[in-house]
Amino acid sequence: MNQLLKLEDVWKIYHLGKVKVEVLCGVSLEVNKGEFTAVLGPSGSGKSTLLNVMSCLDIPTSGKVSFEGEDVSNMSEDELASIRGKKIGFVFQQFNLLSHLTALQNVILPTLFQGFTEKEGEKKATEFLNSVGLESRINHRPGELSGGERQRVAIARSLINNPDVIVADEPTGNVDSKTGIKIMEVLKDLNKQGKTVIIVTHDKDLVSYAHRVINIKDGKVQ
Amino acid sequence: MIKEYFRIAFRNMKVRSLRSWLTILGIVIGIFLITSLMSLSEGLKNSVMAELQMMGGNLIMVMPGDMNDMFTNFIGGMQLENRDIRAIEKVRGVDLVLEMPLEAEIVRYNNESKTSLIYGISYDSGIQLLKEDMGWETVDGRFPYSGRREVMVGNLVPKDIFPGIEVGDEISVKGKKFVVSGVLRSLGNRQDDSTIALDINDFRDITGQREGTPMAVVRIVDGYEVGFVEEGIRYALEETRVRERGEDAPSFSVVSSDAVADMVGNIMGILQAVVIAFASIAIVVGGIGITNTMYTSVRERTKEIGILKAVGAKKKHITSIFLVESGVIGFIGGVGGVVLGILLAKSIEMFFQIHPVFFIEAHVSFSLMFFALGFSFLVGCISGFFPSRSAAKMEPVDALRYE
Ligand SMILES: Nc1ncnc2c1ncn2[C@@H]1O[C@H](COP(=O)(O)OP(=O)(O)OP(=O)(O)O)[C@@H](O)[C@H]1O
Ligand SMILES: [Mg+2]
Repeated sequence: MNQLLKLEDVWKIYHLGKVKVEVLCGVSLEVNKGEFTAVLGPSGSGKSTLLNVMSCLDIPTSGKVSFEGEDVSNMSEDELASIRGKKIGFVFQQFNLLSHLTALQNVILPTLFQGFTEKEGEKKATEFLNSVGLESRINHRPGELSGGERQRVAIARSLINNPDVIVADEPTGNVDSKTGIKIMEVLKDLNKQGKTVIIVTHDKDLVSYAHRVINIKDGKVQ
Repeated sequence: MIKEYFRIAFRNMKVRSLRSWLTILGIVIGIFLITSLMSLSEGLKNSVMAELQMMGGNLIMVMPGDMNDMFTNFIGGMQLENRDIRAIEKVRGVDLVLEMPLEAEIVRYNNESKTSLIYGISYDSGIQLLKEDMGWETVDGRFPYSGRREVMVGNLVPKDIFPGIEVGDEISVKGKKFVVSGVLRSLGNRQDDSTIALDINDFRDITGQREGTPMAVVRIVDGYEVGFVEEGIRYALEETRVRERGEDAPSFSVVSSDAVADMVGNIMGILQAVVIAFASIAIVVGGIGITNTMYTSVRERTKEIGILKAVGAKKKHITSIFLVESGVIGFIGGVGGVVLGILLAKSIEMFFQIHPVFFIEAHVSFSLMFFALGFSFLVGCISGFFPSRSAAKMEPVDALRYE
């Protein structure tokens, strides 16, 4: 079984008062293990919504999502949380680090929900921070780090539970283009080490890193 | 993981330290009230009870007037007369009746004159009752003998009233000379410890009162039931007064030492219930403060909750994070309240040791402290229940979107 993810006729509809907002309109796609996939589309096309559904952060209004062959579209929130914690690492456009915690504490955070103590997570977290070149920034808080450094902390955090998949929603959206390239290189390396990587972007230049591009417009795969 | 929850809680409280401290203060006040007032009232109860327990169960107190107006009767100077005493002596089951008249007189020692309280007791029969049934003891010297013009003094007399007075010294009361035969062990309250005892005959001579006592202590014969003798005394007293004086409804208080202990216990119980009721109101208000703070905190940390959920936090994790935090707020408030409460209670105790108008000892029991701490932690957790539930219920996507 090489298939990691499968979406079949996935719809996501929001109701804002009487207005019905159809964000995803019958999306079907597959992602294989070890692939580097980029979701590309203009702003407001539904990229983030799609990524959330693919990464078990959100459930579709209708349709079926399978993760590693298991139907996750009707799972409870806690079951989804369990899958996210063990199998999926998240990198966000706004970094989403906790501002009152140090880089190290931020990276350790996901291990706590897998039943580890902070002490137990410390060694691994230090290694991952080293691997993204932040050995000298371990005890800095996010406010004391540059955008590129913050995103590397976020990448270290996404790796700490040894997930199969890294999902990144516009990981380069808040950094300059040079730093953006560095971050993409890190993701490419991770993909080479066997992680499945799914990124969302509206930057066509970054698409060259991907094996496969999913174009989305108005909630439909082109 | 539990250690981690506490660590997370402390970090969060540090970030919002002013607000955390103010919230903690809300709990401190209630717990402070509970600890200080409870330890003081418990101490008061203990000292009164200890005094009562020195008495055996075979004693009955007789006072004129209704029990409910005991204080007014005493101030108003209502007294038992000689024929009341004779009537009591005739009741079946009565072994001994001890009068204890009390008067303020000028007492002179070493050229120093002071007005102090003196009381008369029968050296013949009374001393034995005081020793055997009321547990009186001397710390110095011995109990006085009758016919020898001796007095015994309360524990505080050599300390406060006539500093340096010793067994064998001479004092004069209204010009009549007496020798101090002994110093009593403390009777547990300031007034009793500051009095001087004379033989009843000397007392009557000096004061010129030929009869009357505000109170009499009755010892019953072994084997008689207290309630039965009590009834007999009440009946005899009413009978005497109605027959000899034609009073319509004379009233007397006839109570056994056990009944007094019960009564004091009840009064203290009510006092403590009132204390707890008022302190509970303070704690409820403090608890609402915690709820308010936690709701604000949940709203402010919506994005954080989203992040935690994204990286794998389940509902129980989020709930625990907020519950532990509110519990810690409650607990710290409890610690502060207990510490301040003990400080206040102990300083009140010290104040009255330095200015001895009244004898009170703060009784800080472990169970009270344990209760106060446990209770404050519980209040914290209960107060955090709804806020933490609303945090746990957030959808991760919505929480992450929150700005
Ligand atoms: N919770 C929601 N309620 C209502 N509408 C929503 C909600 N979430 C998303 N939408 C709508 O869905 C559409 C797609 O949103 P989405 O964030 O997926 O777009 P995107 O492709 O990621 O855009 P961008 O490149 O700007 O991030 C938008 O029009 C947005 O307004
Ligand atoms: Mg987006």
